[in-house]
Amino acid sequence: MTARAFVEFIGVEKAFAGKPVLRGMDLAIGKGEILYIIGTSGVGKSVTIKHLVGFLPIDRGEIWFDGQRVDQLDERGFYPVRRRVGMVFQNATLFDAMTLTENVALPLRKHQGLGWKAALADARRRLAQVYLADFADRYPAELSDGMRKRAAIARTLTLAPEVVLFDEPTTGLDPVNARRIDRLIRELSRSLGVTAVVVSHDLPSIMAVADRVAFLYQGRVHALATPTALAASADPIVQQFIAGRSSGPMETPGF
Amino acid sequence: MSAAPSLPVRALAALGRPVVAAARATLELWGVLIGTLAGIIRSYGKGGRRPRGAVLAQMYAIGNRSLVFVAVTLGFIGMVMMYQACLQFSRAIGDLSQVGLQFLRLVVSDFGPTLTAMMLATRVGAGIAAEIGSMKVTEQLDALRMSGVLPIDYLLVPRFLASIVMTVALTILGAAIMYGAGGLTAWLSFGVNPRTFFDPAMVQPRHLALGLIKAVTYGAAIPIVSGFCGLRARGSSEGVGWATTAAVVGSSFAVIALDFALSVGALWLFGGDL
Amino acid sequence: MIGERTLTLLGARAIAVTREVGGIALMTGQVLRALLPPRLDGRELVRNLHRMGNRSLPIVALTAFFAGGLMVVQSAPFVKRLGATSLAGWAAGYAVLREIGPILIGLMFSGRVGANNTAELGTMTVTEQLDGLRALAIDPIRYLIVPRVLAMLIMLTALTIIGDLVALVGAAVVAYLVLDIDWRTMYFSFADNLTPHDFFHGVYKSVAFGAAIALTSCYFGVTVKGGAVGVGRAVNAAVVAAAVSIMLLDFFITYATA
Repeated sequence: MTARAFVEFIGVEKAFAGKPVLRGMDLAIGKGEILYIIGTSGVGKSVTIKHLVGFLPIDRGEIWFDGQRVDQLDERGFYPVRRRVGMVFQNATLFDAMTLTENVALPLRKHQGLGWKAALADARRRLAQVYLADFADRYPAELSDGMRKRAAIARTLTLAPEVVLFDEPTTGLDPVNARRIDRLIRELSRSLGVTAVVVSHDLPSIMAVADRVAFLYQGRVHALATPTALAASADPIVQQFIAGRSSGPMETPGF
Repeated sequence: MSAAPSLPVRALAALGRPVVAAARATLELWGVLIGTLAGIIRSYGKGGRRPRGAVLAQMYAIGNRSLVFVAVTLGFIGMVMMYQACLQFSRAIGDLSQVGLQFLRLVVSDFGPTLTAMMLATRVGAGIAAEIGSMKVTEQLDALRMSGVLPIDYLLVPRFLASIVMTVALTILGAAIMYGAGGLTAWLSFGVNPRTFFDPAMVQPRHLALGLIKAVTYGAAIPIVSGFCGLRARGSSEGVGWATTAAVVGSSFAVIALDFALSVGALWLFGGDL
Repeated sequence: MIGERTLTLLGARAIAVTREVGGIALMTGQVLRALLPPRLDGRELVRNLHRMGNRSLPIVALTAFFAGGLMVVQSAPFVKRLGATSLAGWAAGYAVLREIGPILIGLMFSGRVGANNTAELGTMTVTEQLDGLRALAIDPIRYLIVPRVLAMLIMLTALTIIGDLVALVGAAVVAYLVLDIDWRTMYFSFADNLTPHDFFHGVYKSVAFGAAIALTSCYFGVTVKGGAVGVGRAVNAAVVAAAVSIMLLDFFITYATA
């Protein structure tokens, strides 16, 4: 058995209602790196990370995490994986019937076995780390998108995951808040050694934060390189995406 | 300024608040009823604009799609009621000769209309509240008003008329199924002679009248209460959800309360005997 | 061809119903598995008990009062005609304890608590909060569903018991005000003739109804598809399914405990 990367996708295929989305995707992610998955809308970026935590089953291929094959696991089999691979959803998905503190305290109570009061105190501390101490007792509906995302990140971190998946963390945020999220992701990687897999099409984020970038096109990894190498690529399709041109060699289904 | 109000004052306020709210809600409910009746006069009187086929469309929505639901539920409950009634009669009087007559009276003048209406309250009431509520919340009602159409005329009047017609129709069907299922049970489980059971001469006109009046009243009440809840929907889809559940509970309760009121009224009218 | 189209519609409907029944059965299995051994979120259970009880007590009490009065109005004249006024209480009480009480209270509970529950769970599903729980390795069944199912079961049983009492009081009040039957006659009529078996017959039913309402409302809540409109449709479907379940269960329990 060859030594595998920390996270590895091998020949993954997935189709929805007969329409193929992933058509043989191969991707190896190293421990501790920040990998961005980029591409146009609908190309299968979110689908990829959802496969890793078992929210979607794959049609064909293999997915490996830390030397264990995970694509065949059932819902209960995925729970140990989800303790080590956290996911921050695109719309934060905080529990809207609870305050921020209660949101963050819930996994603490469930997984660290803390009592309610101790969990609340620990939650407050964690919210302070993401600069949300003043809003700890507010409900998600009262907060801005940026704040919700930060709270969601704090909540995901309560499980001390080794890998965190981010589904478009800066989409819809103003530039200032987007850069704050970027910084958070960088800090996570540097100080906690977290492996970050980020789905994004936010170019400034990509260039500033990514160690490597995987460019998805037509269901496969079309290009895999560091951000600077990618930006300097001669590939016309990559160039069209980076330059943000509406017309070019890229086929964009649905337009 | 003195300290917080004393306990008796606070208790009174706590009691009074729901009463005041209930009174206000009742007044608004009446307003919807009067408004709907006025809308009928407006639409069908001289020079009124009547949306073509609207009433028929609503009749289909209410009636056809509730048919199986009403038939199944009333059939089962009919069997159960007859079973309990037979048990009760054997225990109390020892003979089952009167069961048919009494059961018929109950089905025609009470349970037929009431249970049918309660089933319709859940199905139809929720639908009306959800439709009107989501239109209110997405400001489509305001858009209607801007084009010179009163929401009550356009939305509530057809549903009101359709509901009355279909409630009566479904009540007749439901009562027939309930009585038939009951008769089957009496025959199969207790050996009651079916001929004594299905004797058409047993039908008493005053029971029929009471049953019809109840069916019409329920048919009127359900859309009014549900429409009222829909019109009060606030906020977003969550508000529509609250409106829907309020409509179901409100319509069901209205049916029970009206049943009680009309039954007592009938009792008084018939001089203490049914 | 009318025949062909009706058959197709009926067939499609039958398949849909079968799928729902299957789904509910599956969820029941998951709930039961989480209960043996019982590992569920105690806090959530208490919170739901509180909410559901508070929310439905007033309407259940009012409904029960009127239901009791209604049964007296329906049965007492006939009983009086037979000269058996002392049986008036029993006649009404029998129907209330065994049938009318559990069914009406069940229907009201379904409308008030069941529909709300479906709407809540449905909204959580649509806004991906349920996925959020799964991503945190928290089992939605253990954390969300089981406490709600238990809470609804316990609450409906408790409410039915309370409602039965209120209904008997209502019957007595109405008998006095409308039919000139005094309290004592009614009280003795209840006490002498109504058996614990009558009472428990109704309680068994309320337990079954509670389970049915809980499972259908949770099922339709978590299987919502299609955004806010889907939530509305799920609430409607849940309430209708609960009503049908109540009637069917009533039938089976009546005959089973004959």
